[in-house]
Amino acid sequence: MGAYVIRRLLWLPVVLLVVTFFTFTIARFGPGDPVSVAAGQIRDPEVLAQIRADRGLDGTIVEQYQRWLFDAVRGDFGESFQQRGFTVSEIIFPKMWISAQLGMLALVIVFGVGIPLGLLAARLSGTWVDPFVIGTLLFLQAIPVLVVIPPLLWLFAVQYDILPVGGWDGLFDIWWIGGVIAIPIPDPHLYIPLLAFTLPGFAGVARLTRITALEVQREDYIRTARAKGLPESAVAFRHVLPNSLLPLVTVVAFALAGVVEGAFFVETLLGIPGIGRFTFEAVVSRDYDAILATTVVFSVLFVLMNLAADLTYGLVDPRVRVGATRS
Amino acid sequence: MSGQNRLLAILLGVLAVLVLLVGGLSAVLLVGGGSDDGSPSGVRSGTSDGGGSGDGGDGSSSATGRLRLSGTDPVTLDPHLATDASSAEYIVEIFSGLVTITPDLEIALDLAEALDVSADGTVYTFTLRDDAFFHSGRRVTAEDVAYSINRATSRELQSPVARAYLGDIVGAREHLAGQADSVSGVEVIDDRTIRFTLDAPKPFFLAKLTYPTAFVVDQQQIESNPRNWTRNPNGTGPYRLQEWRLGERIVLESNARFYLGEPPLKEVLYALSGGSALTRFENDDLDVASISINDVDRARDPSSDLNPLYAVWPQFTISYLAFNTAKPPFDDVNVRRAFGLSIDRAKIAAVTFNSMIAPATGILAPGLPGYTADDKTLPFDPDAARAALADSKYTIQDGRLVGPDGPLTIVITEVGAGAEAAIDTQAFLEQWRTELGLDVEIRQTDFATYLAEQDAGELQMFNGGWIMDYPDPEDILDLKFHSGSQLNDLSYANPQVDAFLEAARTEQDPELRLQQYRDAEQLIIDDAAWLPLYFSQAHVVVNPAVTGWFEPQMVIPRLRFVEVNR
Amino acid sequence: MTSQAGVAEAPRSPVVGRSEWAVTWERLRRKRLAMISLVLIAIIYGGGLFAPLLSPYTYNEQNLDRALEGSSADHLFGTDRLGRDVLSRAMYSARTTLIVTAAVVLSGSLIIGNTLGLLAGYRGGWVDNVIMRVGDIFSSLPGLPMLILINAAFAPRVTDLVRQVEDNTPLSGLVSSGFASYLILFVALSLFFWVGTARVIRAQVLQLREREFIMAAESLGASQRRIIFRHVLPGVSFLIVLQVSSGLGSVAGSEILLSWFGVGVQPPAASFGAMLFEGSGARTFQAHPNLLLVPGVIVTLLLFSFALLGDALNDAMRGR
Repeated sequence: MGAYVIRRLLWLPVVLLVVTFFTFTIARFGPGDPVSVAAGQIRDPEVLAQIRADRGLDGTIVEQYQRWLFDAVRGDFGESFQQRGFTVSEIIFPKMWISAQLGMLALVIVFGVGIPLGLLAARLSGTWVDPFVIGTLLFLQAIPVLVVIPPLLWLFAVQYDILPVGGWDGLFDIWWIGGVIAIPIPDPHLYIPLLAFTLPGFAGVARLTRITALEVQREDYIRTARAKGLPESAVAFRHVLPNSLLPLVTVVAFALAGVVEGAFFVETLLGIPGIGRFTFEAVVSRDYDAILATTVVFSVLFVLMNLAADLTYGLVDPRVRVGATRS
Repeated sequence: MSGQNRLLAILLGVLAVLVLLVGGLSAVLLVGGGSDDGSPSGVRSGTSDGGGSGDGGDGSSSATGRLRLSGTDPVTLDPHLATDASSAEYIVEIFSGLVTITPDLEIALDLAEALDVSADGTVYTFTLRDDAFFHSGRRVTAEDVAYSINRATSRELQSPVARAYLGDIVGAREHLAGQADSVSGVEVIDDRTIRFTLDAPKPFFLAKLTYPTAFVVDQQQIESNPRNWTRNPNGTGPYRLQEWRLGERIVLESNARFYLGEPPLKEVLYALSGGSALTRFENDDLDVASISINDVDRARDPSSDLNPLYAVWPQFTISYLAFNTAKPPFDDVNVRRAFGLSIDRAKIAAVTFNSMIAPATGILAPGLPGYTADDKTLPFDPDAARAALADSKYTIQDGRLVGPDGPLTIVITEVGAGAEAAIDTQAFLEQWRTELGLDVEIRQTDFATYLAEQDAGELQMFNGGWIMDYPDPEDILDLKFHSGSQLNDLSYANPQVDAFLEAARTEQDPELRLQQYRDAEQLIIDDAAWLPLYFSQAHVVVNPAVTGWFEPQMVIPRLRFVEVNR
Repeated sequence: MTSQAGVAEAPRSPVVGRSEWAVTWERLRRKRLAMISLVLIAIIYGGGLFAPLLSPYTYNEQNLDRALEGSSADHLFGTDRLGRDVLSRAMYSARTTLIVTAAVVLSGSLIIGNTLGLLAGYRGGWVDNVIMRVGDIFSSLPGLPMLILINAAFAPRVTDLVRQVEDNTPLSGLVSSGFASYLILFVALSLFFWVGTARVIRAQVLQLREREFIMAAESLGASQRRIIFRHVLPGVSFLIVLQVSSGLGSVAGSEILLSWFGVGVQPPAASFGAMLFEGSGARTFQAHPNLLLVPGVIVTLLLFSFALLGDALNDAMRGR
């Protein structure tokens, strides 16, 4: 299995190479470039041509790509046109950090709420509760982020004026009690983005928990435990819960992918200075180096997520012997 | 079972790691919250964090109060590279130049205390104030001014605007092209005297010098930290950058040694992220907020609590429809006029923009030199429009204009940031369809594509805007409509217009010069090269604790006129 | 764009013979929720399909004197800022969604995804490797920004190309009908949507290959084509149906998100993304909730119906 992981990781540079070349070509294939966007309304063609030449934007695509690759391998991802005087890495890392905090918190909530709801539905399978819970969660999943955010904002920020209308101010605020005891409370800026992130995510986790829990309940050892006269709560916590959790490992990767996709919209709509919003700004203004850097970030993330998903499949289902399949 | 227990352990481990990660991160944030270590911010040393009420590093400071605004990240704080309004907003407060623009849009001396212009209008001799200092405490000398002009026009800096703003100085173009080591037209006479020689008498030269490209920067700082100096810039302006956290906030602090006296306002906080400004204003998180189209009815309602705080300020920004006069069918003036005569701008401004913009009366906005109040634009007159179209060399067939080479497709291009096209463009399309019987297609592109095609002169018809850079008609009429101008993206050429514009370039009599611009403006409107649409307005609400706030027509230094009494 | 999770678990009784389709349909018909979903989908898509006949106004009929009205007898769901009928625009938006989803599912998921999946699973070896590695690359690209970039790069060129075709052939109205923008959208979406289908199909084919009846057919010397069409294809057909049903929902969702960002049909043509864009913002919602709610509720119902239908289909195929 170690060899398999290493082989998959060795594949990563190849993927990155192809992905960056693809992105590089597409970005430069379109009309327009960051030089004219950065120039403002008085654009002097001679000056712009000179800037292009000095920034190395007038060579062939392959030449330019070679230059970019050579720098990138040494950790230099270039300089942003949108933010002069800052390297792309300097801009991206704090933004990734913000997005990662939000995303992690969202994941924890998705699993923290989804698992109990799934267990509840399984426990009350056959009653109205089961379809009601699952149906509600499925409905929440079906509402696009674009539709859910304006009403949330209206309700919490405009009508009742209890939450800010977006932005970012760190993960926690501290309440000091008597100047001695510090109680960290989640920053109010977090609530609406977290709602937007997590509402569509519960259904997947809860449904999988429910299915596996139902299957586990039919297993022999559960029946044995019940036959032994263990109280129902003990059966649920000692046997059903642990064994239903296992398949959930596999959906962590999928849930993470959902959060990453959601970040593009949630961050754009709520003015959160994260990587998703930055990616869109870079794409629109054709900020070449920034586009490439965000592509690298997302590609690494996706490749690792796929790897994690494959590995956990193998762990959960011994029949899928990782590394022994034909691929 | 044992295998499954191992798995369970792994899973719980993962969860535990997640929880620890989040918890640990927040702990780091809590501990490091005040010091901002490791963030790409330019934290100025010497002052304590936050609060704003606390006294800064300078004991002699008399400034008080804290103003909270919403803002965006500047593209750059290097005055010589900045080309956009959002960067200039900060730069004009942090830096300054020889001359500036007052709130009345007069050109006034700033770092200079005296100016002598030679009789032929080509030699400008400035005498510097002796009490002007950089934020670091170093005195500003003529050498600093000369260094700044030479830096702005250096080939290495690649300033996209240096040629436009400083190209009138003898030798600046050669310096920009890398053919000279310095600008020959800039001479340091002594410590406090500097002389500029121009290639011709240019009445608008002083206006151009008010732009950040001519601002003074600190040579020592730039040479010691050429890459990152703008994160902690040492300027000469009334405010200095105290903190800049990318995408989060910018804090400006008053400069106690400012040569015109320390500004009364101590601290200005720009929040760079966050949603609707008005909601934040109403939650008392902002002191100034712009009003959106959905809120303007409430702000106008005399019984609303917003109404007393609400004000409208005209802006030097015009939006227009432009025709490429080299591309059929817009090579025919009758077609262009027909398009202009068939749109009802007044009604569209009233309905779709809820009267938040003013229908344009010409090309020059109210307040600009040369502006007259009478409406010089094409009126809404469908009958005249149809008559003009009938006079053209094209005929209409199945909703399309047919020329000698067959039917023509008419496409209007505009920048589309989101899904929906500009609401007024869609209304125009409908009016051309109903009044003229012509089908026009909308094409939305992103900004980069739009600029590339506009510069290449490929756009047949497009929706554009122009923000005045300095308050002189030359900045719009000569730049956009002279047949030789590189910014003339319409292939527009009218020898009469060219003659007026060229005469005005060197005309020394101000009144005569403005009349020449007015004549050119009327000719351009009659040729319908542009259809001027609207003049922008700023709609804002201001917290009653703030006095002296105003929305200038263009970016000018204003924070030092503001006070906050809280 | 990553909603393949729902079908990732392999069904228990994979072999659903030709004759069993009827059984599956019977099972499905007994599920009330599934039938309601089907009816909802039919109503929404039917409204789109027959929008030119059914809608009270056209999508672009403006009346500036009646802008931003609420519900009335003339305009059931009110009007937007240009005085256009919201109901009519919603119907035309459904039409846009219908065209895009049908085209993408047909080309991306059904044709490209299944062919490549079958090929990879059945042929194995380097063919398998190439296909799956290319799939890896596509699935590691950030989908939404990539689609915007692709659209920006190719849209002007494709439009010009289509316009040239128009000028040199008797065809006309291609550009104004939005053909070019549909083309880009559906090619770009197809690029990303085949991967999931191909993976699932390939895995199933790999399992099938080990079955006796295929081995028997192979040893009897049946041609590859015969084996694929007579033995493998029926074995994966249930998966194909599941893929299509889940694909419809996720493509529709993606189309709406993309058109919100301006990728897709050009205005004034109607799309749900454009309508949602116009209605978004807390203040707009407060003043004119119909602008967001009408497209929002329709879109939610559509996606919800697809989810329920997919679930029920899954159950029915597994014999539940």
